[in-house]
Amino acid sequence: MTRIRRLLLPLLLLLPLAACAATSPFEGRWRLDKARSTALDGWHEWDLVIAVTGSRVSLRHDMKWIRTNFSATNTVDTAAPVEIPAFFRVEQRHMALYPAKGGLTTARASWLDAGRTLRVEADTPIEISQGQANMRLYYEYRLVEGDQALVLLELHSTRPQPLVYRFTRVL
Amino acid sequence: MRRSLLSCLSLRPVSALAALSLTFTLTPSVACATEGSLISRLEPRKVAHAPASATLVPLSENWRMDGDIPVHALLISLQGLANRDQPRLYLEYPTHWQWEIVRPLETFLEKRHGIKWERIEPAGADSSAAGLAKADAALARFAKFAKGVVVWDQAVRSSLIVAFTIAGVEDLVIVTGDQLPLAAKHGLRPVVDLRGKFTGQTDAQIYQWAYDHYFERCSRDYYVVLGGHAGPEMQPGIADFGIRQRAFFTDLSANPKHPDELALLNKILGRQNVPSIVLGWHSYAKDTEGQHTTLVGNHGLIMEGLHNLPNVSFTSQIPLTPDFKFANNHTVKPGAPARQAEPKVYIAAVATDAMGIGTWTKPGRGQIPYTWQVLMNWAWMNPPALQYFYEDKSPNDYFIGGLSGPGYMYPKAIPADKWPALTAVGRDLMQRLDLRVLEIMDYSEGNRHVGNTDLPKEVVDRYYDQYPDATGFINGYGSARTFDLRAGRPLLSYDYYLSIERPVEEAAADLEELIQLNPQRPYFLLMHVRESNTVEKVADILGRLSEAVEVVPLDVFLQLAAGSPTYRTHYQQPTDAIDRNP
Repeated sequence: MTRIRRLLLPLLLLLPLAACAATSPFEGRWRLDKARSTALDGWHEWDLVIAVTGSRVSLRHDMKWIRTNFSATNTVDTAAPVEIPAFFRVEQRHMALYPAKGGLTTARASWLDAGRTLRVEADTPIEISQGQANMRLYYEYRLVEGDQALVLLELHSTRPQPLVYRFTRVL
Repeated sequence: MRRSLLSCLSLRPVSALAALSLTFTLTPSVACATEGSLISRLEPRKVAHAPASATLVPLSENWRMDGDIPVHALLISLQGLANRDQPRLYLEYPTHWQWEIVRPLETFLEKRHGIKWERIEPAGADSSAAGLAKADAALARFAKFAKGVVVWDQAVRSSLIVAFTIAGVEDLVIVTGDQLPLAAKHGLRPVVDLRGKFTGQTDAQIYQWAYDHYFERCSRDYYVVLGGHAGPEMQPGIADFGIRQRAFFTDLSANPKHPDELALLNKILGRQNVPSIVLGWHSYAKDTEGQHTTLVGNHGLIMEGLHNLPNVSFTSQIPLTPDFKFANNHTVKPGAPARQAEPKVYIAAVATDAMGIGTWTKPGRGQIPYTWQVLMNWAWMNPPALQYFYEDKSPNDYFIGGLSGPGYMYPKAIPADKWPALTAVGRDLMQRLDLRVLEIMDYSEGNRHVGNTDLPKEVVDRYYDQYPDATGFINGYGSARTFDLRAGRPLLSYDYYLSIERPVEEAAADLEELIQLNPQRPYFLLMHVRESNTVEKVADILGRLSEAVEVVPLDVFLQLAAGSPTYRTHYQQPTDAIDRNP
């Protein structure tokens, strides 16, 4: 390997990270496009607020139902797995599937597609009426439409079909 | 405790009622009475049998303040007065009215109770002309029951709500200034004129004036919160009954953001008899269902929550037909060997609030075992309606009591010392209506989205203790996590809430997910169906599940769950989130 190559390789590897670290195109407030999404249960509105600080990505969910507002944040790290207490899932209130009290969700995150997709995988303990169970979750946050739209694909190890949410950027 | 309270009224019924009447006239207090005497105090007098004929007036679909509300308010107030001592006037609400039983009940009253309807339906080129013609014809028949009119101010919406109070207390028909000539034609002159009286005033000021002038002459057994639809629309379907009972009307807020309104509302509720009835519904524009129902419970009162429930001044006086007895579809027979659960998934579907505003008349009923929560106070407040439902049920329809007791109430909000009087009524009504299961709901510390809807152990203890004849309890509205089993009587919470908007394929996936995550068999999946979902939709969802499930009647579900408790006992924990329904 030549000296130049030796210098370039780490730089190339860091490029996606650097792209995100500057001003990530993910950053900002994204509003659910209900007409183009899987039906949202129990909430009328959902804003996803994304902030990227170094390798940490904050995913804040601002939920609204009539006059009830609720906000919950899952912060993941693309550099290392994290453990999140009371991991928030959007669909949890109409099904008796609660974040297990005191339970920690292990979440792993990474950038894909040259920084245009954020993948999050999580193993979350769930309180059920029979006691406790585990759910494996897979999320992809994909930028589309000139970064003005965001598609979220969500898979559960326990659900027979994916959930697909489409957001548009709030200017 | 229950026995000692009940034994304090061992008087003969007549003297007991007289004593109660005196007590409540002088000082509102916690009633110390038997179940029967409490209901007797609240119950409108029944006629010996339904009338041979009655007048029927159809109403339009327009309930806007600047539309047909003036003529509807006139007719509803006239109805309250005309029906005060006998059922004479029935209003045929429009096809899309939330309470969908107006027409089925009309047919039922005709066929089963023998009422011949004398329909007033003048032809008219437009709704206002037709409406005035109806009012004219109705006044020709019933103006004799009024002593004059109260004129409301069309520029101040709340003046109409005050007018409902005055109509009941002073026996007046409600009119606008434009309708004064029509009233005069029937010999009705203005007694109270609210035009200009409340201009620029807040609702707290307006209702304080009404309180100062009329509250002492109003019923201590009935208060009406005439909320629900707000702003440009009003649906005062319950107002005829409120007028008949001389209730005090407001749409005061239980929201701490409105401290003046909340203070007056507390004063009003605090002066009502305990227990007594709060009719109507909270204002959609001011507070939340959770806030208002919590406050009513704090005072130990009974919420009968539907502001547009129509014609109760008429139906409340009509007794059951002599050949009728309330009989439920019990599958579990007392004393018979208990059925044992197999290693599979059992599902029971329950619809709350659905008898009247739900899907009783919609496709699918009878297709699968289905449970309907009964508004138990209708046993004395609306007997023909309950008789209609009981006689119209299919073999797959099963009835349970609710909600949390006699009426709509939140158990955590009711002070412990106010429980015995309420549960006495609840037990009595469950027995009368052949109900063995009680549904509980509590939104005093949360809702489907925030906080919690669970019950602490001491509240669960009270239910087991004070409803000894109940074979089981179910809890929640959305999903909840309170579970118990005592002496073969389970208390199970909903594992799933089927919202109105939920598409069939997503709902089926939701249930599949619950079934995947709850691995033990039998698994008891209790499902709450929001009232506007049809039974047909529920059957479609259940038919899509890949694992074999058995949909069973709720009494069977509870019996199986009692024999194989694969759920864990759980109560509300001190660390659970609390949210006061902002």
